[in-house]
Parts: sequence; C-alpha cells; structure tokens
Amino acid sequence: MIDSEKKAKIGRVPPVPRPPTGPTRLPAKGRKSAPAPAQGRTQAIEALLGELGSQLRRGHQHAHCPAPTLPTGLPSIDALVGGGLPGGKLCEIVGPASSGRTSLGLGLLAQATRAGEWVALVDEADAFDPASANTAGVVLPRVLWARPPDTPRALRCCQRLLDAGGFALVIWDAAGRSHRQALPAANWQKLARSAASAGTSLVVLSEQRLAGHCSELALELKRARAHFTGSAGAPSLLEGLEVVAAILRQRSGSHGTSASARLGRHPTTA
Amino acid sequence: MRVGCLLLPDLPLAAELRAHRELVGLPCAVATGQDARAELISVSPEALRQGVRRGIGVSHARMLCSDLQLRVASPALWQATREALLDAALACTPRAELAPEASGFFAVEAAVHLDASGSERLFHSEAGLASALCARAEALELPANVAIACSRDVSRLVARQLPRSGGHSRVLRPGEEGGFLAPLPVDLLDAEDTLAQALTRFGVQTLSDLLALPTQSLATRLGPEILEWMERLRGTREEVPLASPVDHRLVEAIDLDFALDRLQPLLFVIQGLLSRLLARLEARQLGCGEFSITLDLADGERDTRRVGVAAPTRDLRVLVGLAGRALEAHSLRAPVEALRIETEGSRVGFDQLDLFRPAGPAPALLGETLAALENLCGDQRVGSPVVADTHHPDAFDMQAFRTHSTELAGEVRDAPTSAGPLASRALRPPVPARVRLRGHRPIWVASSVIQGDVLHCAGPWRTTGGWWSPEERFAFDCYDVQTSDGGVARLRFDHLRRCWQIDALYD
Repeated sequence: MIDSEKKAKIGRVPPVPRPPTGPTRLPAKGRKSAPAPAQGRTQAIEALLGELGSQLRRGHQHAHCPAPTLPTGLPSIDALVGGGLPGGKLCEIVGPASSGRTSLGLGLLAQATRAGEWVALVDEADAFDPASANTAGVVLPRVLWARPPDTPRALRCCQRLLDAGGFALVIWDAAGRSHRQALPAANWQKLARSAASAGTSLVVLSEQRLAGHCSELALELKRARAHFTGSAGAPSLLEGLEVVAAILRQRSGSHGTSASARLGRHPTTA
Repeated sequence: MRVGCLLLPDLPLAAELRAHRELVGLPCAVATGQDARAELISVSPEALRQGVRRGIGVSHARMLCSDLQLRVASPALWQATREALLDAALACTPRAELAPEASGFFAVEAAVHLDASGSERLFHSEAGLASALCARAEALELPANVAIACSRDVSRLVARQLPRSGGHSRVLRPGEEGGFLAPLPVDLLDAEDTLAQALTRFGVQTLSDLLALPTQSLATRLGPEILEWMERLRGTREEVPLASPVDHRLVEAIDLDFALDRLQPLLFVIQGLLSRLLARLEARQLGCGEFSITLDLADGERDTRRVGVAAPTRDLRVLVGLAGRALEAHSLRAPVEALRIETEGSRVGFDQLDLFRPAGPAPALLGETLAALENLCGDQRVGSPVVADTHHPDAFDMQAFRTHSTELAGEVRDAPTSAGPLASRALRPPVPARVRLRGHRPIWVASSVIQGDVLHCAGPWRTTGGWWSPEERFAFDCYDVQTSDGGVARLRFDHLRRCWQIDALYD
C-alpha cells in the first residue's frame, strides 16, 4: 500500500530539466572559458593518423575471421575440406575396413597433440593400437583413452568429455561395431550442441553415417589399392594404401568433391 | 627451547560438537554407553547449568535434564579430533607432536606440543603465535587453549590452568615459571594414585610445597619418579627436540548411531566427513588426492572403496561426487555402521595458464570426469595409452591420465613430424581364420573380417618372446595380406596353439 502511494507521488513529480550537453553548454558564471581538452585530443589523433599514413586501413564492418580447423596431416584431404575438419563441430568419417579411417583419425590426433592440445579417444571398438599411434606421431600422454563396452556407454562417455571441456578433439571410434539400433537424433543434436559450446571437435569413425543432419561434415573414404613392393616370387613388403575421400555432406562452403591420398606403412614413404 | 601446548580440555565433547554442529548450544553429554547405567564422561556448560555432572549415570542425568542430548563416546571421533588439533598446530609451526594421553581426571583432555622457538619473525611475538594457534583451532571447530613456556610439562600445566571454555592463551616468559607454578595445586601433576596419596599424607598441597622438600629424602621415600617430576618443574631437565611429522595421512571417521543402507544418507554423512577433512587439509596447505572410504558393515565385514582423484583438490562438491560414484559402482552387502575416510595430503595443483599453449581441462573437473568415465567403462579401461615394452603384437599398456604440461614439453618436441602414415586397428581378441596354403604361403583366407583369395602377401616375419615363462611365451609368423574383398590385414600363425589368426587390420 505504501509502495503504491510512493509510486503515485513519484509519478506526479515533474521531470527535472537536463543540463545542456556538448558544444551548446555554456561556461559557468565567473569562470574563464578554457580550451576544450577533447579538441586537443582530436587534433593529436588527426596528426598521428597523418603521420602513419598508408600503414593504417579501415576495418570492414563484416570482417571475416577464419573458423578454427583441425588439420588431418594429409594435404590433399585438408585441401578438400577447406584446411581441416571444422573446430567445435560434429564430423563423421565413414568407410569400410582398410579405407583409411583409422589413419585419418590418428592423423587428427597427431596434429592436435603436437600442437599442444589435449585430446580424447572413446574407443568403443577397442581397436586403438598405441604402437601404431606412436608411429603416426601422436603424443600419447596427451591422449585420454576410454574403452566403453557398448554404444550407450560410449555415448555417455562422449557427452561427459564434451561437458568437461578443455579437449580440442574427441574421437568416437565406432567402426567395426554393429549399430542395429541407430541412436535417436536427439542424442546427436545434444552432442553437436555440447561440442559447439565446449569448442571441441567430435569426430565419429564408422562404417556408415550415424549422425544424419547433425553432422557438420561427413567424409567418406574408399579404398583404391594397396601397394606392395617386389614382384611375384620375390620377397615383398606392404608399402601403403591409396584411398579416395569424398564429401557426403558439408554445411559450410564446398571446396571440392573428392581427393585421393596415399597412406604409407613407414613415415618416410608417406 | 620454547615449547607451546595446544590443549583441548574436553576432548569427548569437542569431538561430538565438531561432528554434530547442531548440538552447539544445547544441553549435551557424552556417556560411556547407551544403557541406563552408563556414566557421563563429559558434560556441556548448558547441561552443567541444569545440574548434570560428570560421573553420574545416564538415568540420573535424564532426571536432572529432560532435554539432555546424549551421545555415546566414539574413539574414532576422538582420534580424528586429536589429529585435527595436530593439524591446527602444524598450520603455524613445522614441528609439533601429539602429547601422550593423560590419566585420571585429565584423561579427557587432548594436547599437542609444538616448537615455539623462533616464531617472533612470523608472528611478531609468542603472544601472536598463541593467538594464531587459537584462531586456527577455532577454524577447525576446536575450543583449545594455548600456553607457551620453557618445557612440555610446564606449558601443559599452564594450559590446564586456563578456563575450560577454550580460546584462551598464556605465555610464560623465561624466569616466570617459578612464580607461576608455586601456588598451583599438586593435583595438576596428574601423578599416579600411590604417589598422589603419599603427597597428600605428607601434607603437600601446592607445587611450591613439593619443590621445597629435600630431594634426596623425597627420592628415598617416594622413589625415583618424584625426582623426574621435580626436575621437570624446575626446568633443569633437558628437553628432547620436537620433530617434524613425515606422515601426511589424514583420517576422519565416525560411528553411526543407526546403520545406513541407502546411498543418499550415506553420502550426507560422507559429505560431513569430507568437509572436516578438507578443513584440516587447508590448515596444512594441502589438497585431497586419492582417498579411500572404509565401511564397517553390520555383518561384521569391512568394505573399502578407493577413489581416484585426477588432481589434488579442495573442492567438496567434486569429492562428494567421486565418492558417490565409487559407492554406486558396487552395491553394499549390508547396512553401514561406521565410516572412515583416509587420504594422503598432496600439494594442490593450480592452473598455470600459458600464453602460447592451449588450456587443457580444469584439474578439479577432470578428476570428476575421469571417475565418471571409469564408472562407465570399468576398471583399467580409462587412462593414457603407453607403448608396452615387449614385442608381443597384442601388448599395450595404460597409465593414469595427468595434465601436467611441464612433464610433456620434451615429448612434444621429440614427436615425429611425418604425415599420413598407415595405421593399424588392433583386433582384441584376435579373430580366428581359416587359411589355405601353397608352398607355405597363404593363398586363401576366410574370417569374419576379411575373406577371399590372397592377392598380395608379404612375410612371414617371425616374432618370438617370453621364452622364460610358459604363460608369457609366444611365437608367431606374421604376414601382411590383401584379399580379394579389398581388406588388408595382418595374418599370423600361432606356433604354440597351431592356429591362424588375424590380429590387426590396416586401415
């Protein structure tokens, strides 16, 4: 009751006239009109700009800041996807066995860990080979390796890691596991949102696309041929694989449709 | 040498009030048991005002004070409170030790002796040190008195003279001991019964009476123990230097009034234990690393859960979350009657941000995340990969995931810079395969991962090891094969089991 009365009184008070501002404000009576300091500052700025001349450029209102990317270490595939996989997004790398999915995943891990980033691998397939990763250049102490026994727990692991933050890259290796019941789209949407808010790239490795429209980028790998040295009858050696990468889905800007890459058995043959 | 004494005059009551803050301000007493004939060993001032006295029975006490809050003595709680008193002392001085337990009337007190020498630089004066000790003890919910004198015994006698409400301090300067001790009653010495009776018979009432007696004659009549006492009171006895404690193990425990079989009430109790533990750790400038929860079950068994913490922390929320996950992992076989949390204090790691390196996961949050992952994946399935020191193709190792970037600086620089290497996918366990041979070389393979004619084959490479142990022994002939279905895999022949397997896919 008292408040409403006060409000009513306040409402009847006439508005106080504001003092004039800017150049129309008059000096107070009895004071000398000193030169405005703002004017001197403006002159100094103008003089400085004139001195610097062409070294300065006016910024564009809609200046384009390149989005962070995660390079794969394979120049041809990096060029195909615009410099690397988009940061803070959900991406998919799909393909059959021996198509280079794992090599591409390890390439991402290697590039990120060598840049000083912390990464996590949710290895649902339990297929991570530390020796192979070490050869690929992955800094193993910077990798958090979790081996969930099934898909629902792998999903929860990914969600936990994205919520924790601080990881530049989380790879979910779901290749080789049967996904008879596809995860609901709501799960993928939640993962994509968490990845975006944490600034963490979530990369899913699998045989077929799982995330649907929630993925920012879907890259399909196909095996082209395997390179063996030596002729028939002579001792031979597996030199590497040749794979072809094709973009199935890319939300932002297409840089091409397909590219081939060579994966070497030994670092020197890459 | 200057020695301080941090004295808790009423340990049972202080221990109960520390664990049950809701009892502060209420008439409260601690009894030896729950039955009506049990005796009270400690009484709060509120209960004293209503006529309840130490030594009376429980039923008598209830007659005097109907709303008396009765607690049963808990040795586990007493020990934790004693150690908390030591932690309060260690917050101010590096050398402190628990005083031996007294007997008789003073059996309910707890005391810590500490080295007060050279404290002026830090606390300006010995009085400043005493005030700081009082404040530290109060922060740990302990109403303790502080006295500083020339020896352990004198400082303890001085502390016994202070009001029992706690928070009082007294400093005896060198030379003041004689004047202060002279009028004190000889009962304060807490001597054995026979000695106390003999002194009473001799008419010795104060310490000055005792010191005035001829030493040799007294020793002849009362034994050599009295000589030791007189030396201590005169300050002529050599003080053994106090040592720094080397053990940082902290224990908080509680005996429950009622057995608990549900998780939420149990977590509520654990939260209280952890908060007291963290207060003690904070006093010692330490954090909580890995800790263990020991549950005494109603069936007489004991269940111990180890809780890993990725980085030492003093965040109560994180630690309670980890404890909850550890308890959720396996259900309890029987209700819980007592709890004990034990940890070894560790230095707290702080986030040192780097201008040129990306920030990693926050240490405190990472601990909770790792615990959650381990809860989801199982034991030994979360960590950092390590290349095993063996030639066995299936071998791998894991270690705890740590985010100490300084340890990794060298490894990052030494990492190879090659790009696009061919990686292999391990098959765990190896997939059995059927193989047709021609001239000791595989020409056809059938398995669940690859199948068809062998288009290319490289090998074999023999890998053997572990010959010194029948369990670890292995011998493989490995081949790299490409089959007609396009798969490229590592095929191996196990010489010990005489079978073909595929242990990796090139991918």
